[in-house]
Amino acid sequence: MTALAAAIQVLGGLALAPLLPGLVQSMKARLQGRRGPSPLQPYRELRRLWGKSLADPQPTTVVYRLAPCLVAAATVLALLLVPIAGRAPDWSLGNDALVLVGLLALARFALAASSWDTGSGFALMGSGRDLTFAVFAEPLLVLALLLAALPAASTDLVAMAAAAAGSGPWTEPVHWCGALAFALVILVETGRQPIDNPDTHLELTMVHEGPLLEYAGRDLALLEWSAAARHWIVLVLGAELFLPHGGGFWAQLGWLAAGVAALCAGLALTETAQAKMRILRAPGLLAGGCLLALAGLASFLIGGL
Amino acid sequence: MSAVDLLAAAGGALLLAGTILPLLRLPAPPALALQAVGAGLLGAVGALVLFGAAPVGAGFRDGLHPALGIDGLSGFFLAAIALVALPSLLYARDYLAGAAHERELAALGGLFIVSLCGVVAARDPSLFLAFWELMTLAPAAAILLRRHDAAVRHAVFVYLAVTHLGGAGVWICVLALAHYGALSDPGALAAQGSGAQALVLVAALIGFGTKAGLAPLHSWLPRAHPVAPSHVSALMSGVMVKVALYGLIRVLFEWAAPAPLWVGLVVLAVGLLSALGGVLYALLQHDLKRLLAFSSIENVGIAALGLGASILFASEGEATWAAVAFAAALLHTLNHAVFKALLFLAAGSFERAVGSLDLDRLGGLLRRMPWTGAAFALGAMAIAGLPPLNGFASEWLTLQALVHLAFGPALGLGLAGALAAAGLAATAALALFCFVKAVGLVLLGEPRRPEVAAAVEPPAAMRAAPVLLGGCCVALGLVPGLIVPALMELAPGGGRIATEPALVVPGTGSLPSLWLGVGIVGLTALLWRLRGGRRAAPVPAWACGQRIEPALRWSSDAFSKPLRLVLEGVLRPRREVEVVRAGGLVRSVRYRGEIPHLFDTALYGPARRRALAGARVARRIQSGSVRGYAAYLLALLLAVLVAVRVGVIG
Repeated sequence: MTALAAAIQVLGGLALAPLLPGLVQSMKARLQGRRGPSPLQPYRELRRLWGKSLADPQPTTVVYRLAPCLVAAATVLALLLVPIAGRAPDWSLGNDALVLVGLLALARFALAASSWDTGSGFALMGSGRDLTFAVFAEPLLVLALLLAALPAASTDLVAMAAAAAGSGPWTEPVHWCGALAFALVILVETGRQPIDNPDTHLELTMVHEGPLLEYAGRDLALLEWSAAARHWIVLVLGAELFLPHGGGFWAQLGWLAAGVAALCAGLALTETAQAKMRILRAPGLLAGGCLLALAGLASFLIGGL
Repeated sequence: MSAVDLLAAAGGALLLAGTILPLLRLPAPPALALQAVGAGLLGAVGALVLFGAAPVGAGFRDGLHPALGIDGLSGFFLAAIALVALPSLLYARDYLAGAAHERELAALGGLFIVSLCGVVAARDPSLFLAFWELMTLAPAAAILLRRHDAAVRHAVFVYLAVTHLGGAGVWICVLALAHYGALSDPGALAAQGSGAQALVLVAALIGFGTKAGLAPLHSWLPRAHPVAPSHVSALMSGVMVKVALYGLIRVLFEWAAPAPLWVGLVVLAVGLLSALGGVLYALLQHDLKRLLAFSSIENVGIAALGLGASILFASEGEATWAAVAFAAALLHTLNHAVFKALLFLAAGSFERAVGSLDLDRLGGLLRRMPWTGAAFALGAMAIAGLPPLNGFASEWLTLQALVHLAFGPALGLGLAGALAAAGLAATAALALFCFVKAVGLVLLGEPRRPEVAAAVEPPAAMRAAPVLLGGCCVALGLVPGLIVPALMELAPGGGRIATEPALVVPGTGSLPSLWLGVGIVGLTALLWRLRGGRRAAPVPAWACGQRIEPALRWSSDAFSKPLRLVLEGVLRPRREVEVVRAGGLVRSVRYRGEIPHLFDTALYGPARRRALAGARVARRIQSGSVRGYAAYLLALLLAVLVAVRVGVIG
């Protein structure tokens, strides 16, 4: 079973991740009454990019060229920390939730540094906004993970996933607060409306897309894959920690697939129903999420589990 | 005498010799070498004692009989001092070469190191306070010897005034402890009741807190650190504020132990305020050294978070986590000493090469100064708390402690822990923001001034020092688990974890930094191969078809603008836009903006005004006539006699 979990973790993470944004895009198109692209569109894009030549804005240093590799490497490691259906193979990397936060930060640093290297205003505008969001998103992520860690009293993701199984957690308000807070985390990390608009082609409104503007070819493919893998990481985590699951390995795997699909549908629905919010108002939303998480913690500490 | 005792004596003697000899016309380089060997020996002794050798020298005593000694905690701090002092002295070799007052500066630097080592090795109140004052004065003299224009004199005045006002707390605390006999017998203070304990604790928090740069008493730090010579800045930011933390740790965890719950909450709150406030203002600075100074406040705050959490855990009876939080604070202290010294030394090299540290006038230095630049980038990544470097290990451990504090069961402590954990996460995100900006503006992009384009690497010693410290950042980051168990043993309540390279703490998913490091480097290299030697088309950066001209370059303010707008209510920026029109045409637009330091405008400004108003009132009784003063004396004497007669005193 663990071997299968390992296979899904690596191959699924690498190969299935691009399916998630594709799925969201195609569901969104259906909801909006368009035919839209096939869910496999991201794969075609990646294949196309993989064959293209690279671009090298002048003057850049090795920082610009190294950034996509570093971003992708940090994302792969983050992927290896996330258990699948409650199982995690031993990669000697541990399974700590807060290490995951650090790895995502490393990817953010590399991308922001590459924006400075190109000196492009649009890239820097985007990463400045991204980092501003992170100031509010990182506490939110830590608090959401803290709430998920309460039942297990451990930040080990495997223990957290096990403790969230069954119906017990659902009787506690802390679980609901944690789920809502994590939903906001999903919106930020995947760069979806109302925080960011993944479909924009207008440089002035870009947040996550901005730093990618200068890249081409395999560099861009690595970055696009990393963005898709971030979808995978937060959606799988969301399904494992906050959505109903339980039973044996196969049952959990089924729950996981259903959970991730449901979350994709949720993202598509939010994107259809919600317009993008003013950039300066997004931090307020995230800070509200933090307060909600603190309220959840208070309810837990008053009531116990 | 054991071999370790001899080593310690030899180290102290060499350090003293290296300090005194330059005044007797010994040239600076051999003197610096002597100091380095002495500091290195003391550091080695410290490390030996920390990892299990028997304590050296005397134990603490309450009388005024000078005594020196090294126990585990002192050993840790001596090792940290040596780790910063060795590269700083190496750096000073070329940095001071040919400078005015070279020998005097070398002597003052040595004196500073002597006083730093002295404070942590002092075993009686007289030596402790003497070294403490020397530690304040030596860098002030070094600053004034190098530069003495009005701005620098003012900075030094503020530094001396604030640290001396706050320093009164240290005197009160140490003398009170000696009076109660609590230095030699840690149980003695508790027997005096909670009033005496509260007096000592408040005095310690104010006294040591001021020197450590904890908000809101940090106002001197961002003024004094940037104007010092770079190797002294490195020692000030890297070690001096840590030595103040050493004093605080001694009081909180030994002399006044067990610290009551409220002290834990106060330390936690002060740490959170320092961490968030420090990094927020660091982000808004335009001068690299001022940015680094503000970030020192942040890092001291993070260490204070660990100490506060440790007190709270101890009051809950959780010995293991109390020890983990304590070790996290010490580990962060060590880590910060290493990377902050690196950043200050590199900043000194940039200043030497370019002549300015204005962030908006640098750029592109990675290409021109590859060694210093790469070390600076590494230090910035470490201080931003990125895995697998050392900053991440200690911030992870601190965050784990706070998260476990939030697990409860007490409601108040749980919420405090969660708030502090969220604050630390925000601090880490802000630090990333701040240091990616610093790296971008200093190292990347195109040079923003012609003199930057002509920058060259400094001489070998100045190049080697930051690179060595960069190596320490990597080493400490990869194997934190080898140090943390030894640090946990210094915690009063005991509690231990296994000694192995990875940090394996029960209740966490563990931090195997070594494998994370291997994974990151290996995967990056693999992807680099995959990306391959494909032809890269040279293109200009995209700016909607325009050329990116110097005026279009992104500045320090532009990058942080979104955050400034979001936090406008807190930061209260002032801006003025002046449009000059002539004949219906806009001739020029002048823009001026600044972000006042909130602590200055809201706290220090009013306090200063009140003090001056009070002084004006007091001046009325200053007649200047001798007879008047004699009358005051007589009146005071009579008042005392009356008081004695009535029985109020005596």
